[in-house]
Amino acid sequence: MEESDRDLIGRLARGDREALGPLMERHYRRLYRLSLSYLRDPDEALDAVQEIFVKAFQNAVRWDGGSEVGPWLTRIAVNHSIDRYRRGRRRLAAETPLDEEAGDRDPRLTTGDPSPERRVLGREVGERIASALRSLPERQRAVFVLRHYDELALEDIARVLDMSLGTVKSSLHRAVHRMRERLEGLR
Amino acid sequence: MRPWRHRGWRQRTSLLALGAREGREADEARAHVNGCAGCAEDLARLRHALELAALDPVRTAEPPLGIPALLARVNARLDDAAAAKSRRAGRPAWLLPAGALAAGLAVFLFLRPVHAPSTTPSTPAGMAAAQVAVPEDMLGRMERTVTRAQTARYLDEAQDLLLTVAAPRPCARQSRRVDVEQEAERSRELLARRALLVGTSGQDVASARPVLRDVEYVLREVASLPSCARERDLQAIQREVSRRNLLMKIDLMTRELKG
Repeated sequence: MEESDRDLIGRLARGDREALGPLMERHYRRLYRLSLSYLRDPDEALDAVQEIFVKAFQNAVRWDGGSEVGPWLTRIAVNHSIDRYRRGRRRLAAETPLDEEAGDRDPRLTTGDPSPERRVLGREVGERIASALRSLPERQRAVFVLRHYDELALEDIARVLDMSLGTVKSSLHRAVHRMRERLEGLR
Repeated sequence: MRPWRHRGWRQRTSLLALGAREGREADEARAHVNGCAGCAEDLARLRHALELAALDPVRTAEPPLGIPALLARVNARLDDAAAAKSRRAGRPAWLLPAGALAAGLAVFLFLRPVHAPSTTPSTPAGMAAAQVAVPEDMLGRMERTVTRAQTARYLDEAQDLLLTVAAPRPCARQSRRVDVEQEAERSRELLARRALLVGTSGQDVASARPVLRDVEYVLREVASLPSCARERDLQAIQREVSRRNLLMKIDLMTRELKG
């Protein structure tokens, strides 16, 4: 029988690194996309996923057995991505003028979409979304990413981000309006 | 409908567009939209924007690395972390380059008289002179270089820590608090290293003393925080960092030390 996520975290807590493989199989792709949607850079996102699993192993002993593993990993991913994004932004601001578009034109953003036209449109949309996401305050950005990319229920977003449900709703409302304004003009 | 009452419906319309309303709440929102031309237009525009956002290639992006390769990277990171921990438990990691240097010099001193072409008889007195005259000068330069490199590294790491402190995570155990457990522990480690630096550096890093003092002050503040700290305590530290222009000073001093 397949081991549950809880069993795997239990093994990690006992120092068994072999449990990392199956846990990655289940969550790697989702956490990569979540980090990528926040950081918009494939290398940064890959480093972030690596650190998420390092932290998962190191903190498995402190994992509250009552909570689900998926949201726990999501929480690590969001906090780590926010940290990384803030640090990157501060470093960038200290070293060079911020180039709004520089980080977004990455040809390594490969997709499963077979049509070249849709891929071109997707890339343009990707650039506009990256720019729009950058314009959002941090909380709205995190809420929007968790809803739009990870498709979490509002209650789960509230749990992951340690917010009230009302705050999640109002943040999401503001975020989606800001995104609409920023994406206006795209066909 | 009055504008203030409409605001609530706008939020519900947004959530409806996102598919985040279900059952009775969704029915109510839809009924309102059907009777409100402005809201219907709003909903259509939001849905169009979200349809476009669904084309974002990130949603279907494949990781550029397979699981075995990532697993190898994670294991390597865990090995590094374990090694660093055991080094911290024994000898400070930053002393290793100095140790390696000392070992290299010892080998050099031991081998030099044997391999160097000699025009004078190889007497014990001659060997002693060779051992003292050459390395002392070299040792001084090397010690200075190592001390400056260690100080630069210390400042680099302190700067990284201050940047991390500026972006705290929410504390899982207490609401409205931020988790600074790792940062406080790291500050204590850096302060221990600072004590060793001061003990050994002498005049080699005299110009860095004011920055080192400022960094020490802030690290002490961070080290004294509880693992779940109040945000306002952290903000006070950030204000202090900003007031002292500490990040910029560290940048300038690190560059000077690295030459």
